[in-house]
Amino acid sequence: MSKGEVIAGYLAPHPPHLVYGENPPQNEPRSRGGWETLRWAYERARATLDELKPDVLLVHSPHWITQQGHHFLGVKELSGKSVDPIFPNIFRYTFELEVDVELAEAICHEAGQMGLTAKMMRNPKFRVDYGTITTLHMIRPQWDIPVVGISANNSPYYLTTQEGLAEMDVLGRATRKSIEASGRRAVVLASNTLCHYHFSKEPEPPEDMSQEHPENMEGYLWDMRIIDLLRRGHIKETFDILPRFIEEAFAEVKSGAFTWMFSAMDYPELAGELHGYGTVIGTGNAVMEWNLVKAGLAKAA
Amino acid sequence: MESSQSGIGKSRLNLINLMSVVSAFLIPGSPLPYLQQDNPPWRTLAEAMNSASVSLARSEPDTVVVYSTQWIAVLDQLWQTQPRLEGSHVDENWHEFGELPYDITIDTELTAAIIPITGTVGIRSKGVNYNAFPVDTGTIIAANFLNPGSLRQMTITSNNVYHSWDITKELGRLTAQVAGEMGRKVAIVGVGGLSGSFFRDIIDISEDRIARESDDAWNNKILNLMKAGDSDALYKVLPSYIEEAKVDMGFKHLAFILGSIDEQFSGATIYGYGPLYGAGGAVVEFHT
Repeated sequence: MSKGEVIAGYLAPHPPHLVYGENPPQNEPRSRGGWETLRWAYERARATLDELKPDVLLVHSPHWITQQGHHFLGVKELSGKSVDPIFPNIFRYTFELEVDVELAEAICHEAGQMGLTAKMMRNPKFRVDYGTITTLHMIRPQWDIPVVGISANNSPYYLTTQEGLAEMDVLGRATRKSIEASGRRAVVLASNTLCHYHFSKEPEPPEDMSQEHPENMEGYLWDMRIIDLLRRGHIKETFDILPRFIEEAFAEVKSGAFTWMFSAMDYPELAGELHGYGTVIGTGNAVMEWNLVKAGLAKAA
Repeated sequence: MESSQSGIGKSRLNLINLMSVVSAFLIPGSPLPYLQQDNPPWRTLAEAMNSASVSLARSEPDTVVVYSTQWIAVLDQLWQTQPRLEGSHVDENWHEFGELPYDITIDTELTAAIIPITGTVGIRSKGVNYNAFPVDTGTIIAANFLNPGSLRQMTITSNNVYHSWDITKELGRLTAQVAGEMGRKVAIVGVGGLSGSFFRDIIDISEDRIARESDDAWNNKILNLMKAGDSDALYKVLPSYIEEAKVDMGFKHLAFILGSIDEQFSGATIYGYGPLYGAGGAVVEFHT
């Protein structure tokens, strides 16, 4: 078996509004569009993902929150209807997904070896969270690639931000090591928004884009500063200022997916491809790609 | 935390509230005592829930009103308006212990009456009526323990994370007021924990205990004040307790209860107190 590799990482935020705006058959509510710049950004990301031909997609979602350890979906086939508890008016999505249980178990085991509390989720009636589903739909609406779903342990909130993100770094290393041993060509997806300040009132209809803009200027400026660093490949500098970004912009990257993804890629000082940026109910969202194949850091299919 | 109130007509409203609230309970929303009733540290809480259930039934409410800290809302104050909620839920953290079946009948009339009224105090409320809406673990635990067989209809509301203690107390007050004006007798149930420190690693569940001795001391102090009906002393220490013991969701579940009974209680029965993977939980009935 050849050595497996992380072949790319995507910052792939999960506002359910993007699914709603697209009107896929799986989602009950109908819209007149909206959030096009972000949805078109995902169209570009879908095209590059397709070229990469990964064996597996791994997603770390802030909406599967666990207190005792880092959990992994561990049932081969999961299906059901996911209703967003915050925005049930726009996201009621019927899903079916296939889990790469073997890889999930390997990462779970490796995380345990590295000192983390880790657990497999084996209950077939488990309801997959809307963050996982939205990110996966937006990046690969065909649902034809097996996935590994990883929970967001609440350590960055329960401990200090730095202590929590240190755990996510370990989780990323466990992920990378397990992928390499598996022979899989893997794409890692960080399901995170950037600045997370949002409006407290939803427009009617929700897709009224005349009401959509950054919730505040400072948050927007922070997003641009971070994106600028990422576009220039200044990854170390990004992580140096990440705690301030998290604190001042209430950034959702606090939940760990962003750190986990970069750790799984071994923090390459590589310029990220910005597919697009936009706000959703005031929050800042960027779809970005780090293509390790294009950069010569991973092999092509 | 303000314990006083003012305004024209408050006395009349107090009376209406006290007449409508026939019982009031504080319970933990953890699924552990329900799913693992044979585990000794959690059996105490399961038995306490059963005792509270008997007392609730004796109070003969028309409707059980639940405020659950685990139903997180962000934009509005959400209320269940689907007439019947039926299904099975798997807890996000404790999935290995099995499913939580539920069958809940909503008091749609009472809920519909409350929703527009909250606007009078600046709280925007919204009903949710969707199949497969993810009912939270805390609500299901309240329903299954305190309303077995789904004999009574329920009104269920959420925890808007941006709402303060005082706003939440106001919600409780308004809920009781509307119930009183409609002639509904209601049991109020605030669902949430006490001290919030928990074990992050896998433990032997048969040896569960409160994670920190200082938390245990704080929890006991608060429960004793409730038991004695010493509301003045309780109000005085609550801010320190909430901060030092990392109380679940700022103890807003207590705010909802206190609002509903106009902060008037002569004492409380502590049916049980115990650990929930290191965190504290208690089953308490307030006597008005």
